[in-house]
Amino acid sequence: MTPVVRMTMRWRTAPLAIFGLALLILLAGIAVIAINEGTYDRGRVDQSQSLADVLAASAAAAVDFDDPAAAQQAVEAFRVNGQVRMIAVYRRDGTAIGGYDRSGAPVASTIVALQAPQENAIRVQSPIVQAGQRIGTVYMDIDRESAARRISRYALLAGLFVLAALVVASLGLAQTQLRRANRELASRAEALTQANVLLEEQIEERAKAEDQLRQSQKMQALGQLTGGIAHDFNNQLTVIQGSADMLSRPGLSEEKRIRFAQAIVQSASNAASLTSQLLAFARRQPLKPQRLDLNRLIADMDELLNRTMGERFRVVTELAERPCRVEVDRAQLQSAILNIASNARDAMQGRDTLGSGTLIIRTRDFGEVEGKRMVGLEIADNGEGMSQEVRERIFEPFFTTKPTGEGTGLGLSQVYGFASQSGGEVTAASEPGNGTTITLMLPCIDSGHADPVPAVAAASAETAPAAILVVEDNVDVGAFVETLLTELGHKVTRADRGEQALELARRNHFDIVLSDVVMPGMGGIKLAEALEREQPSLPVVLATGYSQDIVEGGSGGRPVILKPYRLAALSEALAEAMRSHRG
Amino acid sequence: MRRARALLLCLMGAALGLTGPAAAEPTDTAVKAAFLPRFARYVTWPASAMPKGSDPFVLCVIGADPFGGQLDAAARSQTVDGRRIAVRHLDSATGADQCQIAFIGGSRNQPAGQLLSALGHKPVLTVTDSANGAQRGIIHFALVGGRVRFFIDEAAAEQRGLSISSRLLALAVGVRA
Repeated sequence: MTPVVRMTMRWRTAPLAIFGLALLILLAGIAVIAINEGTYDRGRVDQSQSLADVLAASAAAAVDFDDPAAAQQAVEAFRVNGQVRMIAVYRRDGTAIGGYDRSGAPVASTIVALQAPQENAIRVQSPIVQAGQRIGTVYMDIDRESAARRISRYALLAGLFVLAALVVASLGLAQTQLRRANRELASRAEALTQANVLLEEQIEERAKAEDQLRQSQKMQALGQLTGGIAHDFNNQLTVIQGSADMLSRPGLSEEKRIRFAQAIVQSASNAASLTSQLLAFARRQPLKPQRLDLNRLIADMDELLNRTMGERFRVVTELAERPCRVEVDRAQLQSAILNIASNARDAMQGRDTLGSGTLIIRTRDFGEVEGKRMVGLEIADNGEGMSQEVRERIFEPFFTTKPTGEGTGLGLSQVYGFASQSGGEVTAASEPGNGTTITLMLPCIDSGHADPVPAVAAASAETAPAAILVVEDNVDVGAFVETLLTELGHKVTRADRGEQALELARRNHFDIVLSDVVMPGMGGIKLAEALEREQPSLPVVLATGYSQDIVEGGSGGRPVILKPYRLAALSEALAEAMRSHRG
Repeated sequence: MRRARALLLCLMGAALGLTGPAAAEPTDTAVKAAFLPRFARYVTWPASAMPKGSDPFVLCVIGADPFGGQLDAAARSQTVDGRRIAVRHLDSATGADQCQIAFIGGSRNQPAGQLLSALGHKPVLTVTDSANGAQRGIIHFALVGGRVRFFIDEAAAEQRGLSISSRLLALAVGVRA
């Protein structure tokens, strides 16, 4: 039971008590008036009696000497009292000797003839006594107080009592109202509580529905993603499988063997760039940020861009005077620019521009944007542009406007992932028929000089044979790497777990360790740290497809080689690691 | 003039009363006889003039007695301060010392005026009757409007040391202060 209801219960008996009290007050008033009236009547009788006694005394002599005139004179003295209605003085023998009637009627001549007093009159009698002898009788009728005077006398008192009763009664009425209001309040509170419960239920249901919607959207996106990957991967795998099948045929000419091998290499490369873009979108690609001068980067890409755009379109670069430097992954930035450029090319091809298509690449200093100084690129085309619906979705993975098979739908999502991961952002401005401008903003690092562009890798890393410990939990990859390195003339020992590798390294001498990062039990980074403590002179190279640990915490300064890697890249990475470790 | 007429009326009334047949109404004489003992209640005598011990109150009729047995009857029914009232008949003022009330009837030897003078300033309530002459005692009966009334000489009463109740004075036809 709520407090409000309990309170109502307690007050329920109150109005009854109050009305009872009002009644009691009224009764008390009536009683007081009745008692007062009785007292007053008695007083009136006493008063009248003493009047009669006075008259009896004053008329005694007149009666004694049988002097009606004197008796009448004594009677007349009472005429001034307006309340005296009738006076009659009788002799001993009962005959009247004097009298007075206010109405003017004659006084009864004998006691016997005397009539009963009128209503509202008090009759008193007093014997006339002389020397112990009764010589006559005085009768006197006096007005009981008139109703009007009595009412006026009690009016104030009655008024007070009625007022008190009214006050109490109105209090009772107010109480009743309050009780009703309380009851209403209680019912409203209850209704409110019910409404609240209903609302909470609805909110819960809505949250559930939203959860389900989100989940289904997620599933939809996942389906789109996996479907896209599967499609593109299958294309590449088809080439690889087919080429491998062809290679395993006996008696293949040298020229064909090389062609199939190159087809495999190309397809694998395509597949690798696919996964790389996927990872870029997922913002999980290991970036190797370095300080870059955007103007110089664009200048270096001149040839590449011209080739990408083809013969029909011009590339115009507008470089800012002294743009701030950025610290980003060079390869990813180039990849992003090429992705944007190839989209621009397709947009301009869609429009019959008769060679008027121009791609403008500007480097810009955007100044302070949300507390950070930003620089970056604006890449504008005068292609067909896009609708708002398209513009809103262009960064979604696998979203493409191109016919099936022509676009992966991953280009701009790579740009988006790269920008986000590098602390910048990318926006698109476009209208149908008015071209598109993609703006890529990156945080400015205006200190130091741009890192030197790495020299083109040494033609081939012919390294001295070394003892290499390969740590790889995937048997196929492990066997492949072993074959590869053995082919290069190295002595290879394999371990499939970190703990096993640590044990092997303690008992045998190795020149270098090549370890996968993600493994059950002890991972590559843990292994590298342990080895660094025990054998600081032993270099470690980490290999990874992607690793959350490296993305978030870095590799601790250790060289990292990204899967999938080419033979030359692997060889170079190992040689470089051993060289720098010695130095 | 008025007095003469009143006197005439009195005389006439007396003549009628004496000569007329007995009526239901009490005669004037009977009324006077009834009045005489009653005066005692409205008069205060000096203590020295009151009867000693349990002696009766004395009402004297000096000279002629017009009342006969009526006065005795009236006196018998009255008391004064618990004393009975004795009626005495005197021929002269001699022996009037014992009287508290004296009705002066007058006689052939001593007319009323003479008897009054003889009583002098003794503390006696003297009562005269206009029927017997014009001489007035302290109380003087007269017929007024056919009824027995009386005059009171309050000054004379005071001279004799008597105090008369105002109630009695109120009943008098006239009071000489």
